[in-house]
Amino acid sequence: MELLRAEEEAKVRDWFAELQWPVELFVALGPEETPRAGSGDVDFGTELVRVCERLAELGERVTCRTEEDPEGFVRFPAVSIRPDGRDAGVRYDGLPWGYELGSLVGAVVEAGRVEPTLRPESLAALEKLDRDLALDVFVTPT
Amino acid sequence: MLLAFRCALASERVSATAIEANEFPQLAQELEVWAVPRIVVDGEPRWDGAVPEPEFLRRILAAA
Repeated sequence: MELLRAEEEAKVRDWFAELQWPVELFVALGPEETPRAGSGDVDFGTELVRVCERLAELGERVTCRTEEDPEGFVRFPAVSIRPDGRDAGVRYDGLPWGYELGSLVGAVVEAGRVEPTLRPESLAALEKLDRDLALDVFVTPT
Repeated sequence: MLLAFRCALASERVSATAIEANEFPQLAQELEVWAVPRIVVDGEPRWDGAVPEPEFLRRILAAA
């Protein structure tokens, strides 16, 4: 099955063509057996690699790399979205599917921008942070 | 989701992870994920649903 419809793919190509620096999709595959019990025929790790490799085909500045059980990952499969190859703490744990594929595409577009897209007052507020902050956002494919 | 990603990209202090709830049901159950998006800050569930950027920043910074 195609990942994107033709018109969606054209849009993504346009967005990725505007990336100001390279974005790496670093896919972490885990030690767990796949496909997982109860997941039907879906092998989430294999599918995540397929999704990320397909996205990398849509932009010259988007690349995909896969590692088995890399350090620093607690859930698998996962993908780290890395601006200019840097781990900026932006991840998607699991397979982004359906509506959530847009979140991964959006993350690539955001990571490809040199300047942050938050409002100036938001940036000022974040500058005052004096400790690390971990945001987890639970999502579903629909 | 993108707001959390934008925060992480804007600040080295912030990390942002989207977690597909159906694939990690045990974790989702532990954090009582009954609706999405559910926003968890430093391991503590905070709220459900999308909010505008100023409110998002206010809430995460209040939790910091």
